[in-house]
Amino acid sequence: MKKIGNWHKLIKHVFLIIGAVIMLIPFAWMILTAFKTKSEATQMNPFIIFPSQWRTQAFANVVRKMDFIKLYINTLLMIFGRIICAVLTATTAGYAFGRLKFKGRDLCFSLVLFQMMVPVQIFIIPQYLMVSKLGMLNTIFSLIFPGLVTAFGTFLMRQAYMGLPKDLEEAARLDGCNIGQTFLYVMMPLTKSSMVALGIFTALFGYKDLMWPLIANTNQQSMPLAAGLAKLQGQFSSNYPELMAGSLIACIPMLVLYLLFQRHFIEGIATSGGKL
Amino acid sequence: MKVKKAKKKMTNRERSEFLWGWLFILPTMAGLMILNIIPIFQTIYQSFFKTGSFGRGNIFVGLENYKRLFADTAVWQALLNTLKYAIVEVPFSIIIAIVLAVMLNQKMRGRSVYRMIYFMPMVCAPAAVAMVWKWLYNSEFGLLNHLLEAIGLPKVNWVSDPKIAFISLAIVGIWSVIGYNMVLFLAGLQEIPKDYYEAAEIDGANAVTQFFKITLPLISPTMFFVVITRVIASLQVFDSIFMMIGKNNPALPKTQSLVYLFYRYAFVENNKGYGSAIIVLLLCIIMLITVFQMKAQEKWVHYN
Amino acid sequence: MNWKKVSAVMLVAVMTASLAACGGSGSSDKSSDTKEESQDTGKSLVVAIWDSNQEPGLREIMDDFTAETGIDVDIQITPWRDYWTMLEAAATGGSMPDVFWMHSDQIGTYAEYDDILMNLSDKIKESDKIDLSNYPEELVNIYQNADGDQLAVPKDVDTCAVWYNKTMFDEAGIDYPTADWTWDDFREVAKKLTKDDGSQYGVAIAPANYQESWYSTIYAYGGEVLTPDKKKSGFDEPKTIEAMEMIENIIKDGSMPDYTVLSENDSTALMEAGTVAMTFQGSWSIPELAGNDYVKENCDIAPLPNGPEGTKSIYNGLGWAASANSENPEGAWKLIEYLGSKEAQEKQANLGVTMSAYEGTSDTWVNSQPGFNMQAYLDMREDAQAYPSSKNTQVWFQMMLEKMVDGFSGAKPMKDVCEDVAVEMNKFLAEEQ
Repeated sequence: MKKIGNWHKLIKHVFLIIGAVIMLIPFAWMILTAFKTKSEATQMNPFIIFPSQWRTQAFANVVRKMDFIKLYINTLLMIFGRIICAVLTATTAGYAFGRLKFKGRDLCFSLVLFQMMVPVQIFIIPQYLMVSKLGMLNTIFSLIFPGLVTAFGTFLMRQAYMGLPKDLEEAARLDGCNIGQTFLYVMMPLTKSSMVALGIFTALFGYKDLMWPLIANTNQQSMPLAAGLAKLQGQFSSNYPELMAGSLIACIPMLVLYLLFQRHFIEGIATSGGKL
Repeated sequence: MKVKKAKKKMTNRERSEFLWGWLFILPTMAGLMILNIIPIFQTIYQSFFKTGSFGRGNIFVGLENYKRLFADTAVWQALLNTLKYAIVEVPFSIIIAIVLAVMLNQKMRGRSVYRMIYFMPMVCAPAAVAMVWKWLYNSEFGLLNHLLEAIGLPKVNWVSDPKIAFISLAIVGIWSVIGYNMVLFLAGLQEIPKDYYEAAEIDGANAVTQFFKITLPLISPTMFFVVITRVIASLQVFDSIFMMIGKNNPALPKTQSLVYLFYRYAFVENNKGYGSAIIVLLLCIIMLITVFQMKAQEKWVHYN
Repeated sequence: MNWKKVSAVMLVAVMTASLAACGGSGSSDKSSDTKEESQDTGKSLVVAIWDSNQEPGLREIMDDFTAETGIDVDIQITPWRDYWTMLEAAATGGSMPDVFWMHSDQIGTYAEYDDILMNLSDKIKESDKIDLSNYPEELVNIYQNADGDQLAVPKDVDTCAVWYNKTMFDEAGIDYPTADWTWDDFREVAKKLTKDDGSQYGVAIAPANYQESWYSTIYAYGGEVLTPDKKKSGFDEPKTIEAMEMIENIIKDGSMPDYTVLSENDSTALMEAGTVAMTFQGSWSIPELAGNDYVKENCDIAPLPNGPEGTKSIYNGLGWAASANSENPEGAWKLIEYLGSKEAQEKQANLGVTMSAYEGTSDTWVNSQPGFNMQAYLDMREDAQAYPSSKNTQVWFQMMLEKMVDGFSGAKPMKDVCEDVAVEMNKFLAEEQ
């Protein structure tokens, strides 16, 4: 019996390790290529897996050609702007949708659900024209703009509030709290983990969005990382060491944050519940 | 008197819920209206125009763009490409994720390390992901073809063979998203009471039976959520095509998605009217598929 | 313990950053305010270009301009793939860069309205630095609108030539190409330079190399891409088809890598990797190739092969245009005037940025890359053909490239592809009228 259990375990580990290696290959190849010279990267006979020398030339080139500090700052400002907006709008709306009964609620919520189904590209042209009319193209504001409100975040917070027990609210009401106070002092503190999830989702969506900044933020001074990378590719289509170095530089901050706050990332996403 | 007072209290409560409720949803609803709902109508409106460069010289052409759309084989091919991509990406990303989640849903050595690794692609910029995969896939200098050659297999034109390229793109999609799906399934699995399995074990059910009779039905709500969101997301595939398939790639006609066509018409060829018509078509298709899934869920999703 | 500390530090960092963000998102409008202010006082200009290879040289020229006028210049590079998307969006949104590169493919679209590009005619008339007769006439004419207003000042000219791998020629015992070699010679040489094991190919030509290679072939055979009146496609002319069939034959000989390889790797990369012995390169690719160690050691430049009508290198040139809505129109014009002046044009050639448009300023350009036969590019000017473009080049051009994929990949006979292109192209051209 015990032997069978060990066999099972071993097979499982073998399977998981093979999977993990497959998951890691692209990262490994990114790192290995970034330290090669261009001719090492495209040499076939013999094929070179490890760079003969760990050169940082590609990194130096890429940093000289592209202002990554600026890209980081822009990305950071965009993410924080969007998180602040998302937290302000989605927690309140989520609470109202999840805990309060009022006329028009279901209609409004169906609009929220509807927005989640619509392909985001449908908004792009009108949103672009709005931002340009405001004269705010190529600013941090234009990066934040599509994330001023978040349907998914609203949905997420509604789920979180629906999962809370009823008696707490009753108790607060009996203590004389009005709805705003109940929300602020009693209910909101209970949804901290969902708010972390909201923050993480908002950050990831913002960080990963490519089409919007390709159109609205074309100036190097106001570009986020995603658009900067696309630009790097357009410029150095075949210089793979530089492209990989650039990708690495762009990915590292988020990866480091992820490794540090791994639990929050994973639990945050898990608390989103994954249910409709 | 007493009854009346109670009733008045109710209305007070109702009124305050109404006021607070609207106050709370107002920012979101206003934003949703301005940023999303009105733009949908603007885009639909624009799809009835022949648009000039720089947003000028628009001429109302009625259904002309839609007539062209229905006759345009490139659009139907793109729709087919998009569906093909989704048909590969969605099931595989879900099946692999479930298997991983079931494996990791027990106390075991290295569990958190595995979880960390599988989730890692999720925190990378898609542009970076696309670039590294493009490099891995490169038919001449790529690692994958080198490995194939090393074990004596012929080279594969991963991103330029029209028959294979959509699968290569789907692999990138799967690689990027299985960690996310896995975490959602793990959360779902954790909610299944342990005694279900204990009871099944007493009845002599083996692991496979347990999986199909207990696990699968009980995580079907999570599954439903993942399917719905993945389908919607995969129908909007753009980044990987934009970054990996060049303009001269012979596989482009067989891989470009509707969103890619939209981008091309609206922002490269400056035909925003036609681009709008394409994206409206995508909207209709997503709505259809989603409504169909909502209807179908009664058949297979078990809520307790 | 350590991890906790690290996380704590990170948390603090993130929080300070978030504070900065709160200030930052507010201050972003502030910074754009200050930018506007500085533009009002004539201090700063935004210049958009697409070729990062030219940036270092242009930077120097811009610095000279700043030293002379006190106007700062910020150079923005947007790669070719995204450049026109950026510019069109910017023109729609009223946020165009002050001064930018214009291309003959696109000028038609931009010349359609009179409030997108700055009208330079009057300014040129008053200027003592710019005299349009100093630039190639075709180039000057490209950048005019229907009323004959000048919308851009020519910046440079480019021609095309063949890069070949001397080591591979030596190895195969073939003489280096000379100015009188023909397309038939070329085909033979390419065949000889191809190795059976697929490790080395004679040549790489992709549809995307239209300007460098097969457009020239078409004209060298007496065909044309577009009739001179720009009303009809030339792709159904027998001589055009003959030229394209020459390319097809080279492909059929097996002298080129498989089309899939060409579609994933540009010819520059294949040259640098030592996979192909010859490629066609525009003069704009010189900084990239000449900067590569492998190419430096093994490669050189030769003139284009001759057809019945000569070499007929396609030549084209960019123009410097300005936004009609620039907040600093004075500064923008001053910059264009400076960039078009003999002094700056000479410097551009001298630094090896490109050949300059100003007649007679490019002789020094030949010396900018020692060790390469740069004279070949200059010689190509003698028997050159202006780049074919119409009012809405972009539209038929995309279609043509797409269809050509079938011809180059061997999916369809080149003749059918050409005839197909002609039919479609004529439709687009009819719409333009």
